[in-house]
Amino acid sequence: MIQVKDLTFSYTGKPFIQNMNFNVEKGEIFGFLGPSGAGKSTLQKILLGMLPGYEGSATVGGAECKKHNSDFYQSIGVDFEYSTMYEKLSARENLGFFSSLYKRKVRNIDDLLASVGLENDADKRVSDYSKGMKSRLNFIKALIHDPELLFLDEPTSGLDPTNSRLMKDMVLEEKKRGKTILLTTHNMQDATELCDRVAFIVGGQIYALDTPHNLIMSKGAAKITYSWIDGSEQTATCELDAVSGDEKLRQLIAENRLQSIHSSEPTLNDIFIEITGRTLV
Amino acid sequence: MRAVKISFFHMLGFVREDMMLLAAGILPFLIGVVIRLGIPYIEKLLTNAIGTNAVLQPYYSLFDIFYAAITPVMFCFIAAMVMLEEHDDHIDRYLFVTELGRSGYFVSRIVIPAAASFVVTMAVLPIFCISKLSVFEMFSMALGGTLQAIIISMLVVTLSSNKLEGMALTKISSLLMLGAVVPYVMPKTYGYLLAFMPSFWTGAQVTEKQPFFLPVAAMVSGVWILVLKRKLEVKIR
Repeated sequence: MIQVKDLTFSYTGKPFIQNMNFNVEKGEIFGFLGPSGAGKSTLQKILLGMLPGYEGSATVGGAECKKHNSDFYQSIGVDFEYSTMYEKLSARENLGFFSSLYKRKVRNIDDLLASVGLENDADKRVSDYSKGMKSRLNFIKALIHDPELLFLDEPTSGLDPTNSRLMKDMVLEEKKRGKTILLTTHNMQDATELCDRVAFIVGGQIYALDTPHNLIMSKGAAKITYSWIDGSEQTATCELDAVSGDEKLRQLIAENRLQSIHSSEPTLNDIFIEITGRTLV
Repeated sequence: MRAVKISFFHMLGFVREDMMLLAAGILPFLIGVVIRLGIPYIEKLLTNAIGTNAVLQPYYSLFDIFYAAITPVMFCFIAAMVMLEEHDDHIDRYLFVTELGRSGYFVSRIVIPAAASFVVTMAVLPIFCISKLSVFEMFSMALGGTLQAIIISMLVVTLSSNKLEGMALTKISSLLMLGAVVPYVMPKTYGYLLAFMPSFWTGAQVTEKQPFFLPVAAMVSGVWILVLKRKLEVKIR
């Protein structure tokens, strides 16, 4: 669905995106992870045909992004991080207008509104919506023309846990319907939960690209942390695959003196820091 | 083209809901009535009071030049305000990634309003003009005014970040229309110092009855539009 080869882009003469290479397969959820200013939004703009001045190649659905025709956007849906709605119009009027711009058959507005719990607010002006409601409305706007490829920029940003869950379930539902999804986020939990593969982007370069599971497993083993009382509470840590060799732990088990014992795997965030030397926020 | 048409009509619907923009759309017709009836009446009062044959009458064509510019400036101001609101709400960027696209958006917000305002100006100028104008003079005034309106709307959209700033900038950039006064009041040699103002060439064309100044006005406007287009592209990328 997407092929990026030797992609380089610059705003000012100094390279901002440098020699990027990756493919996204049809039906895949692919995540761009990186801190602010890493180049995620620029990459998204290039793939959306908004920044034609790049070198190398970036094709979406077989079309070179800088040479696309007007049909290019028929199969692309975009959910920007910020609201892109007419504040003075109602949700229904907004969706009605945006759907009218497409030639292809559009999805039922009432069904979409109901899918994100906005059916009772459909005729309310968007300016009266909360941030969470706007996010949900923005999301269904990207689905209105039933595109094959979805660009989602921080889709759960600003949402409470319930609505965040709802949004993530909808993303997974779209995947089940065969959509290809490009997710831009710095929320590692979302990426771990949703993405088939992720790319770590820092300074306009891809530092790692793999499935979240492989990234976690390749870089760090699970660990065990245990504690006991020896005057005051003491703690120690050992690798999960070296438990039998930990004399202290064996002794504590034999003497029934363990106060607590936990196993923990590194998170995608830990791996990101380890690989890139940067934090995500 | 279908999406461009929808986008343009959507803008008209949007304007209908905004009293200020609606008033700006009606204003050219009111100004036309005021000029058509008011200026000759004031001229009558002045000539009677001063006892001369003409006070304002030598400048009637200048009033017509202004009127021919006010109509497209108002129409393009409306479109510029809609564009600023869409920029504030990030809607323009969303529209760029729909079938409308970036160029379709600018066609629906700048080119079509300007073309419509040219047609309206050609229709109302014969009704409200107070000097004797040939069809060519009306055409050149309407074209000059339309090009000027495009420049003003692009200046407003490029340099302002919200509607309030846009309104203030519209007032300032409307000073560009004053270039038309120069050929009426300044010696030719000094007048050319303001040759960078497209309206100067419209004024010069009427005062000197020189048709060649129309393409010059168009070329000067073209340079303005090209420079502003580049700046606008940087602003919205």
